[in-house]
Amino acid sequence: MFKKRNKKAAILMENVIFIILNILFLAILILFLLKQGQGAVLLEQSYAKQIVLLIDSAKPGMIIILDMSKAKDLAEKNGLEFKDIVTKTDNIITVKLSEKGGYSYSFFNDVDVGNPYPDTSDPENVNSYVFVIWGYN
Amino acid sequence: MLNKKGGGKIIAMYWFVMLIIIAGGIFAMVYSFYHHPYDVRELEAEIMINHIADCLSNKGELNSELFNEEGFSQNFSENFLGNCHINLGVEEVWQKNFDVEEEAWGGEPQYYLQINFYNAINLENSVFEISKGNLNLVADWNIQEEKEYKRTAKGVEDGFFSFNGEDMYLIKILTIVKKTEKNVK
Repeated sequence: MFKKRNKKAAILMENVIFIILNILFLAILILFLLKQGQGAVLLEQSYAKQIVLLIDSAKPGMIIILDMSKAKDLAEKNGLEFKDIVTKTDNIITVKLSEKGGYSYSFFNDVDVGNPYPDTSDPENVNSYVFVIWGYN
Repeated sequence: MLNKKGGGKIIAMYWFVMLIIIAGGIFAMVYSFYHHPYDVRELEAEIMINHIADCLSNKGELNSELFNEEGFSQNFSENFLGNCHINLGVEEVWQKNFDVEEEAWGGEPQYYLQINFYNAINLENSVFEISKGNLNLVADWNIQEEKEYKRTAKGVEDGFFSFNGEDMYLIKILTIVKKTEKNVK
């Protein structure tokens, strides 16, 4: 009787360990997948290209407001201020989400884009950037 | 009893080998997906076509600056980039920011654009042509007629009809973007 109970306990233990290991494996896999899509390099590139394509399609007088909440979270995590993450030099847009990083891309539309700045219309929820297209150069 | 236990262990080992293989496969797929740059060259080329079309024609009527007393204006063609507010010289500025010794951009323009005007009564022969940028990119683009190559330039061709008050014209626009260094790995 005692031997049988011991055997049952061993089988139960084996199964519990097996299930725990499986859950651990799945958790690591999901964390890895989530982390891959939120890397600074990837976000810098996607935001820079997105901004450039928006500017290329823009006409004078337009105001573009772009939600950059993911970039904000990552930049703040890396010790950067939200107001410093997007810069414009001539016709090159640079997005910087980490101290050493930064990704630049250029636009062909010869428009005068004002210096990009965070949208502070709702001071408690500053997640967007504003791009003002003043006119043609 | 001993055999049964041994069999169980072997199955468990196979199970973990399988898990490792699956994890390795997923890791490889995710790594290759996220570590390739987004290729936006075709989008850029399409946007450029729209930009040029807006410059050449408004509400179906050709830009009056395209013509002078003798017909199509050569002056408009020569100053096309300025007239249509296009800046193709971006890579030169870019190169200044890069290590020049590395010659990452090779100093060559990364865009090419070509516009052909056809009279609607004769769509065979172009009556006027405007082209700007790096002509070498055309060969790069033509190679892809049968098969698509990742590292060559991407291009888009489109056309529309427009009127100048007297004649109807078909305007065909071709735009090609290279920028492989930033769009392809």
